[in-house]
Amino acid sequence: MATDRKAEVTWNGDLMSGSGRIDSVTSGALGSLDIDWRARSEDAESKTSPEELIAAAHAACVSMALSHALAQAGHPADELKTSATVTFQPGEGITKVALAINGKVPGIDDAAFQEAAQTAKENCPVSKALASVPEISLDARLQS
Amino acid sequence: MPRVQREATVTWEGNVARGSGAISGATGAFSELPYSLATRVEKPDGKTSPEELLAAAHAGCYAMSLAGELSREGSPPEHLDVRATVTLDQVEDGSHRIVASALLARARVIGIEQRAFEEIASRANEGCTFSKLIDASGTVTVNATLEGETDGD
Repeated sequence: MATDRKAEVTWNGDLMSGSGRIDSVTSGALGSLDIDWRARSEDAESKTSPEELIAAAHAACVSMALSHALAQAGHPADELKTSATVTFQPGEGITKVALAINGKVPGIDDAAFQEAAQTAKENCPVSKALASVPEISLDARLQS
Repeated sequence: MPRVQREATVTWEGNVARGSGAISGATGAFSELPYSLATRVEKPDGKTSPEELLAAAHAGCYAMSLAGELSREGSPPEHLDVRATVTLDQVEDGSHRIVASALLARARVIGIEQRAFEEIASRANEGCTFSKLIDASGTVTVNATLEGETDGD
């Protein structure tokens, strides 16, 4: 079954001096969030941006996929801490996503953990959607 | 222009079926947003999901791109409403894919004709970094309409 998720944004004025707002999303979990070009392309000044939201989506997706891969391998995770750093080159686009995962997983060896992390990185839906990003790196560490 | 980096972190506990996670952005604009498998693929129940965050990213990206293109043409928008709907679906091999993002834009712009606006709206899609990414693996559609010219109020 298909799942739709929607977000609504308003924008006033030109790109450089105007500003916008993520007004609402399907779940109601976030919004309203201010956005503008300066905060997106220079200092964020506590404002979110499309790239930060993509980082959040990717970290969330990989975490979920890895918890699934680990459970299937017979080693469900106690805790996974994942970060995603999106690099944006204005005028060019998103050039890199760096994923870092720190996992607390009882009874698994590092090789199996690395394999599960790699599988999650390759197969989660957001990774598939970001497949044309030039570089997606993975640094997976098992907490002893 | 210099490179820009944006970071987000997630903590996940437990297995996929019963576990849950919390999502935070490094800017602090959103933090500890809960999510789970059930709320991702069934009813959201007040919880966000990767696809919802992508919808927010896409709407924000397209709004900025459209504002930029209109400004370049000498017709900066008074007001833009942009909605993005991201669809996650199960594909033939049983895995889940982000198959589409549908953009719906309404613009209030003084002194521009519908045809010129449509071209600009389409160029804005090509110039939106995120549209390009989604387009490589799914379908991006743009439905852009121009509101009637204001009376100068």
